[in-house]
Parts: sequence; structure tokens; C-alpha cells
Amino acid sequence: MIRHLFKLIWNKKGAHSLLIIEIWASFMVLFGVLSLIIYNFTNYLQPIGFSYDRVWVVDLSNNQDTVGVAAKNQRIFDMISAYTEVESASRMSNNTPFSANQMNNNVTYNKISAVPDMYETDDNLYETLDLKLLAGRWYRKEDQVSKFRPVVLNKVLAEKFFQDENPLGKILSKEDKKPFKVVGIVDTFKAKGEFMSNAPAIFVQNESMSDWVQPILIRTRPGTDATFEARLVKDIAALAPGWGIEVSYMTESRQNRHKLTLIPVIIFLIISGFLLTNVALGLFGILNLNISRRRSEIGLRRAMGATGWNVTLQILGEMWTLSLFSILIGLLFAVQFPLLHVFDLAAGVYLWAMVAALLTIFVIVTLCAWYPGQQAARIHPATALHEE
Amino acid sequence: MIHLKNVEKVYRTSSIETLALSNINLHIQKKEFVSIMGPSGCGKSTLLNIMGLLDAPSQGTMELDGNPVNNFQDKALARLRNEKLGFIFQSFHLINDLSVLDNVEIPLLYRRSSARERRLLAQQALEKVGLSNRMSHFPRQLSGGQKQRVAIARAIVGRPEIILADEPTGNLDSAMGNEILSILQQLNSEGATIVMVTHDEAMAKRTHRLVRLFDGSQVL
Repeated sequence: MIRHLFKLIWNKKGAHSLLIIEIWASFMVLFGVLSLIIYNFTNYLQPIGFSYDRVWVVDLSNNQDTVGVAAKNQRIFDMISAYTEVESASRMSNNTPFSANQMNNNVTYNKISAVPDMYETDDNLYETLDLKLLAGRWYRKEDQVSKFRPVVLNKVLAEKFFQDENPLGKILSKEDKKPFKVVGIVDTFKAKGEFMSNAPAIFVQNESMSDWVQPILIRTRPGTDATFEARLVKDIAALAPGWGIEVSYMTESRQNRHKLTLIPVIIFLIISGFLLTNVALGLFGILNLNISRRRSEIGLRRAMGATGWNVTLQILGEMWTLSLFSILIGLLFAVQFPLLHVFDLAAGVYLWAMVAALLTIFVIVTLCAWYPGQQAARIHPATALHEE
Repeated sequence: MIHLKNVEKVYRTSSIETLALSNINLHIQKKEFVSIMGPSGCGKSTLLNIMGLLDAPSQGTMELDGNPVNNFQDKALARLRNEKLGFIFQSFHLINDLSVLDNVEIPLLYRRSSARERRLLAQQALEKVGLSNRMSHFPRQLSGGQKQRVAIARAIVGRPEIILADEPTGNLDSAMGNEILSILQQLNSEGATIVMVTHDEAMAKRTHRLVRLFDGSQVL
């Protein structure tokens, strides 16, 4: 029967070409949308690697004030650290978690190069963000006198550089600057939120955080509310008049970040939903028309021994075969994505998207062909054979 | 082999009731070649459809090999049609998108047989009707007579005991018609029971028995 269906579809390929193109296009759109969804979903399943609850980010801007910036910076930081409401405070480069800023740099070990996200931080970040250390330690004040700059890598970067070797104590070179020495390994660090991939990351000790105005991360004690925020802003303003002060909660920044990821996905889903609805309606219409044109053939098949279910199965089978033709063409395009490393996504994401798109197409086609197939099964053979 | 007892067929719509067959009693023996004649609209095709299990009588019983089939479910009826009956139609009913060989294979698709077996049986059936050189042709490339021979091959490919032919020569010229009838006679001589609806008196006379219908009733 399968061969019969293939022949029937193949011999009518000209008449079916538009339908084949429609299903192919739907498959490609679905493949794209599903790749995006699966990519984001697999990212979401991986831990973010730090704790953002009760963490505030204080963004400072010295505006036109250039007098004693480092001293003011240090005073502000010391004052913040001294609050009883503050569990821990830390300074880091502008690429704070959930922000839109990104910074990366080329790092090399044994001719292996990587361009990890680079975070310049002080010694307290580990505590403020509650990072998960897998090996070694976080850098500390004593490291400042070392001839190497201490760094902490995330696991992905450590594996890229060292595979099974122990990474601790290894020296990384960074162009012509002071080389890095690995002192610790953290698990994941997805600064842009759960939907970010677990990309290589490196934390570098910055011993001169006070020289520049940098964001301050504050982990507050449970129960700390907006009253403290108001007091904090007021106190900073008193210490550094004319400075810009902006306090944001990481939980809110995280939600904004999620929206940035999810909105395009939702837009693509709506577009593909419309497309698939159109395709489904088109298929349904074409099948209904097809069946009314093929009444005598259906009557003939019934006369030759087909049951009602055989007729339904024939209609479904034809649509499945047609979909298979379209999907095979679609797969020729789709497999290029993992083969050519398009968008640098993992091959598994594309493979799952192919499988999911294939199943979705088959489900839609089956739903569209089911009712016409049932109608075809109800055609009275004697009447249908007499009509021609 | 086929036994119709007091068969009546009524077609009903919301406003009209049409009596297509009334009190038909007919017994067709094994290996018999019976023709059914009558004017247009007298119920010949309806009678053939009932014998072919494509339609059910409104009243009366239809027996096949001594078994009443009135209450058979769709699956059982389909199986009987597939194994015991072969159909030939006036307008051939070939599927234009399939080759001659694939058209002939159709009845075998609905029974358990391998592709190789199907191919072999279809080739044998086409050889029997003299069309072994047209197997890969498509119906639109054939003449009317050739199309009907393909339809005969399709009817006999499953080795049915009964062949039901609804005006098989109706769309053919007399020479072609004679050729088709000769094939049917040959099949009958080989053991097939044949029931043929025809308008042609000369054709009917070449069969064993003639049943005449008029206004849905048997003319005795």
C-alpha cells in the first residue's frame, strides 16, 4: 500500500506542487521558530549560576564632577558596606547581570584561543551574587601583589582550555597585558538571564575599582524595602552632590531581560500560527474538493474491497506521503544549519527542531485530512460509481 | 451461488419515494452466465449493485453461497467483495494517474499479499486479456476496448468466483464489444459465474440465461 501511495502522489506531483511548496514553507517556518524555542528552553533548563534575589544595582554617574572621584567612590562604597541592611556589597564592570552591556576579550592558553565574557570585579562579588564555586577559591586582597592577575573561570571555559587537566594555577595570556592566573572555577554564570546560553566567562580581579565610577551591587537583608532605597539615594547624594544615582532591583531587570527574549519568540509564534492556520484551512479545502472530484475512484475502491476505514486511511496516507515529500525537501535545507554551524547553535537544537517540526506538520496534516477522510469513507459506492 | 428472495429496493428522499426494484426472486447457479436486460431506469444497475454488495435491499434477502448477507458489517462485506466478486463497469473506472499494471493491482491492495505476488498476478491477468505489452501505459494512452480489457484484468486479478459486469460493451463499438464478450465467455468457460447487464439483445443471447426487468419488476 505504501508503494501504491507513493506512486499515486508521484504521478500527480505536478498537480500537488503548490501543496508541496505550502507544506515545505510551513516546515521551514516551524523549524525556525522551534529552533528558537528549543534553544531558549534548553538554556532555561541550565542553572543561572548566581542568586539575584535581594540584589540591587546602584548605577552612579559623576557627570561633570572630576574632583576626587576615586575618593568619593570609595567613601560611597564604604558607606554602603556599613549599612546594617546590606549583607554584602561589590563593585564590578558595567556588564552587570541582566544589563544590556557586554564585554569580552581574547584569552589564550596553549594556542587555544577563546573570547569569553569578561567581568572585572572586586573581591566581594562571589559573596554578593552567591556564586557556586566548583574548585579553588575566589580572588582576595593578597592576590593584588601577585605578578599575575587572578581570575576565576566558569566551567565551560575551563573545559575548553584544559579538558581533563586541573585548571588551578594555570597561566592564561591576554595579548601584551599582565597574564592571568586561574585561582578558581565557578559552575555556570548566565549574566543575561536564564535564556542565555552557558557561554564561557572569566572573572578578573580589578584592584583599582575606585578609580572609575562603577556600578555597585548590593545584597540586602531580607525585609529591606523602599524606605532604605530612599535613604540610600539621599545619603549618596549627600556624599557626592551632582552625581547621578539610579537604583534598580535585579529581579525587575531579570523580568525585563526575559521580555526581550520572549517577545520575539511570541511574535514569531503568532506569525507562524497564522501561517499554519492558513495552510491548515487550505489543506482542508483542497482535500474536500479533492474528495468530491474523486468520488468515482472512492466508489471503485469500495467495490474492489476497501472498507470505510481503508478509504479514510488512503486519504490520510496520501496526505502523509505528500507531507513526507515536502519535509524531505525541507530537511535538505534544515540539515545545512547544523552542518554549517549557522548562528553557532548546538546541533542538538536543530535536530530537535527538525523532529518537532516534522511531528507538528504530521499532526496538522492528520487533523486536516481526518474529517475529509471520514467523509470519503461515508460515500455510498453504488451512487459514486453511477455518477460518472 | 447468488440467491435473491423477494428483494425490494426503495429510494427515499424527504419528498419522493422511488421503487427501484420490486419482488425480485433470482437464483444464479455456479458457472452460469446470466444477462440482465431492460430499458433504462428499470433497475438493472440497482439489481447488480445489490448482488455486488454495494447496496442493500430495502426488503427481502440476498444470499451468497447460501449465507444471508443482509446484516453483514462493512468489513465483512468489503472482504466478500474483494475475494468473491469482480466488477466491470461501462465507463471502465480506471484511475488515470496509475499505470495499467497498477490499476490492475488495486483489488490485491486490500488483501494480504506481497508486492511481488501482486505484480505477478496483475501481469498474469493482463496477459490473459492480451495486454501484456501495455503494462506501463497509462489509461489515457489506451483505446476504449483496451481500457475495458484492463478493467476485466482488474476484475479477475483476485480470482473471484463471480464477475458482475454493468454494460461492459456499452461504450464500445460492436467489434470491440464482441471481443470483450468473447473474453467474458472464455472466463465463464474457465469456471467464473458471470452476471452481465446489457442493452444489447444479441449480446444477451450469447449468455446462458436472460433475465428481463421492467419498471423494477422481473418479467417472467
